Amino acid sequence: MKRFILAFIGAYVFLFVWGWLLNGILLKDIYAETPNLWRPQSEMMSLFHWIIIGQALIVFAFVMIYASGFAGGGILAGVRLGVLLEIAAIGMRMAVYAVQPFPGKLIVYGSMSGLIEMIFVGVIVGAIYKPAPARTP
Amino acid sequence: MKTSGAWAQQKEIMNWNKFFTAFIAAFVLLFVFGFLWYGTLMRGAHDEVQALFRIKPNYPWLILGHIVMAFFFTMLCVRFVPAGGISASVALGILVGLVYAGAHLISFAVEPLTTKILCGWIAGGVIQFAIAGAIVGGIYKPS
Repeated sequence: MKRFILAFIGAYVFLFVWGWLLNGILLKDIYAETPNLWRPQSEMMSLFHWIIIGQALIVFAFVMIYASGFAGGGILAGVRLGVLLEIAAIGMRMAVYAVQPFPGKLIVYGSMSGLIEMIFVGVIVGAIYKPAPARTP
Repeated sequence: MKTSGAWAQQKEIMNWNKFFTAFIAAFVLLFVFGFLWYGTLMRGAHDEVQALFRIKPNYPWLILGHIVMAFFFTMLCVRFVPAGGISASVALGILVGLVYAGAHLISFAVEPLTTKILCGWIAGGVIQFAIAGAIVGGIYKPS
């Protein structure tokens, strides 16, 4: 349980900082091209807790999947899980692009950064989480 | 290396016929469910914020997106539960649905979506992937 919590915290801190760096700074100009698709800055700040909860949910589900089916494989298994989850999420982004008028480059940059993000999350979780040793009588 | 050995062993026992059957069934489920849930049941909710949606969906991207989702979800199920099995695959589907739920919460904070849309997307995602997990878990068996 202790390892689970540590893995969760480590991955969450990375996801939060990465998300802020990417969406708050690097992609800022691309977001500015479609202001009608986004909430005003003040409104986003008032709903910021949903970003924190959303990121926590992503990391929690990731660590749960890793702990239930990939633990023991170490960093490589974490990376593998991150890549599989993220490519499925790229499929989701394609479907979103099909119904919402986001700029194509936002989907491309979002997918590339998502892949990097999930690889790092996999590395962090794989390095920190270790399954509990089997109990001997 | 132990993990590589396990990976190679998993490749050896991978049942590709069952895998492709499971993938196609998952694709059909995800697409039909998506059409019914998001395109039909939630149509009214989406119409409340028309500016956020295209007038007509871009079908090639929609289909390709679902193919990618179904393929990698099936792959994830097979890696997660190499022996197959419905209950473990449903659990995985729910967890994958929660990953998407987290992404929807973030979208809600930055896009002017309504609470109704948020709840519909979260519930839809969890149900959709739980059923997809049941289908993949029910069909896939290692050789």
